Amino acid sequence: MSKKQVRHIAQPKSKSRAEQLKFLAELHGEVQQKPQKTLNVKRFLIISAVVVAVSLAVVFFSGYRLNAIDAYNLQVVETGQGTINTSSPIYTLLRIVALIELGIYVVYAVIRLLAPKRRKPNRSIWGDIGIYLLLAIVAVAMIFPLVFSVCSALKPLDELFRFPPRVFPQHVTLDNFSDLVVTMGQSWVPFLRYLTNTVFITVAGTFGHVIIASMAAFVLAKYDFPGGRTFFSLVVTALMFSGYVTGIPNYVIMSRLHMIDTYWAIILPAFAAPVGLFLMKQFMEGLPTSLIEAAHLDGAGEFRIFWNIVMPNVKPAWLTIIIFSVQNLWNTNAATVIYSEEKKTLVYALQQIQAGGIARTGQAAAVTVIVMLVPITIFILSQSRILETMASSGLKD
Amino acid sequence: MSSFIGRYAKIKRDHFRYNLAKAKRMRVCYLFLAPYAVLFFAFFILPILSSIYYSFTYYNILEPPRFIGFQNYINLILQDQVFLTAVKNTFLIAVITGPVGYILSFLFAWFINELPRWIRTIAVVVFYAPSIASNAFFIFSIIFRGDAYGYLNSFLLQFGIINAPLLWLSDPKYIMTVIIIVILWMSMGTGFLSFVAGLQSVDRSMYEAGYVDGVRNRWQELYYITLPSMKPMLLFGAVMSITQAFNVCDVPRALAGYPSTDYAARTIVTHLFDYGFSRFEMGYASAIATVLFLVMILCNKVIQSALRKVGT
Repeated sequence: MSKKQVRHIAQPKSKSRAEQLKFLAELHGEVQQKPQKTLNVKRFLIISAVVVAVSLAVVFFSGYRLNAIDAYNLQVVETGQGTINTSSPIYTLLRIVALIELGIYVVYAVIRLLAPKRRKPNRSIWGDIGIYLLLAIVAVAMIFPLVFSVCSALKPLDELFRFPPRVFPQHVTLDNFSDLVVTMGQSWVPFLRYLTNTVFITVAGTFGHVIIASMAAFVLAKYDFPGGRTFFSLVVTALMFSGYVTGIPNYVIMSRLHMIDTYWAIILPAFAAPVGLFLMKQFMEGLPTSLIEAAHLDGAGEFRIFWNIVMPNVKPAWLTIIIFSVQNLWNTNAATVIYSEEKKTLVYALQQIQAGGIARTGQAAAVTVIVMLVPITIFILSQSRILETMASSGLKD
Repeated sequence: MSSFIGRYAKIKRDHFRYNLAKAKRMRVCYLFLAPYAVLFFAFFILPILSSIYYSFTYYNILEPPRFIGFQNYINLILQDQVFLTAVKNTFLIAVITGPVGYILSFLFAWFINELPRWIRTIAVVVFYAPSIASNAFFIFSIIFRGDAYGYLNSFLLQFGIINAPLLWLSDPKYIMTVIIIVILWMSMGTGFLSFVAGLQSVDRSMYEAGYVDGVRNRWQELYYITLPSMKPMLLFGAVMSITQAFNVCDVPRALAGYPSTDYAARTIVTHLFDYGFSRFEMGYASAIATVLFLVMILCNKVIQSALRKVGT
């Protein structure tokens, strides 16, 4: 018997499609499902195009163009339709409303056209729109100062001081960077020296920190020995004490150890940074204990287990504590423990330029870009590994 | 009674012996721990203890410390007007940026978690970048510059909201607002990262069970499923945001100047720096540090016990 014949028998003949469905539902004792609401893409696109056009029109043709003198003195602008007071709050309000409307439609379009087909059952679309809109606004607010500092670094001098100021440079130039080199070249200690100092401190401090903190984390995570837990709870408390609070007594201790004005005054405390140990220990707890027991049975010593078995398995955690350590050391200005100019760090030298006042605005922006580039690049490159480690970062009871 | 004490002492002694034997057996553990432990005690525990000790002395590095009892604390509270300003400012900053930054970090981590994978990657970078971009907050000194070339001023002038440029960074009326905004901008730090990662590792089957059991909207899901399974990360994030909220030092120094107009942007840490590294009154600075330690530990205890009750 062919498939067609089966269907023919199963369904009553003289009914329309809807009636058939209803009949089947009654037959199976089910409630009839609402037909899936499908999106009319064409209608949606037309509506959103109209809205976008209207919003754009409102935003850009309501006397948006002002110039400096008008804004300062008259707050009134001559347009084709006569005098419009463009600074009136109604226009501002209108623009804001138009922008929000625009945002809602853009987000709606993105969700409808790009988002995955299967949505979670308990999410309302309007809630999603609100959240995405909020996310977009806040993301712009978060990234704006960073973009802005890059833009300022690329502006020529006359654009840095114009009214009204623009965010994006019109004539991109690297003058600020070359000026920076000139300024630094005139200083008593060459620029390269500051850079070398910082790189040395960062590399040495991070290297030692990874080794020392991993060793401690290994035994704290995998062995239950007297005093281990107490020690770890001390470390957790010490997570709160950043370099500033312990700065004063640290200075006294360093001076007793005759380490003032040496790199050790920065590197040694960095070796013992509590965040690194904490994250490493939490991550190592996730390693199967059977791995270590098996190695024990095979006759491996503790150091061998640590070096050949544990360390290769916690590479994501290395990267994480490396970035935290680099971020910490790269940004130290160390002005409190280092006095000789030739041992100062890059950030210290750059802060001096930033403190140079208005005349150095462009160079200071260039400096900001250079300094922030390193940690952000490292983070972007190692992001997935870092998130893997942070998943185990919780403080358990 | 005496037998009871004897038994108690014996138990304690046995316990100690047992631990000692265990410690002997596991001495290699101490070998592993030693390098870290030595440095940790030298640069984290010893400073805290010695700052408590120095806080009871007059100490200026040149002369040996002289014991003066509670004099430092008495001066701090009764005589030092600037310290009271600093305490007021620090608490204002901590009370606003601590909880708000913490809640925002969690909320945005949660929102980001629902995005498709590639957008999520970008979003994490965007939100986390300000807190690792070292002194990027310097750029706010251009945005909030006091003349008409400053971006905020010129923007407000253009829209006719103000008539003359405002001195955002030197007028005591505005300094704190600006600083709080900048600190909030930087507040999506380690805690945020921990939340993002934690949300990824919540068991998916819990959500599915939630749908079946009638979790109707995202907020119910957040309260009944997500928050309870995120508790360890919430505790860690709390520690991190307390640290950030109380250790405010760089931002006011870079933006409002050091010292700032009328000490309007003075915080406890900048006050500590002033006495420690400009006037070298180490005893007095240690008293300030000790007060800060105590406040932070207390705050941490309160918040930890409050967070343990979440979602249960």
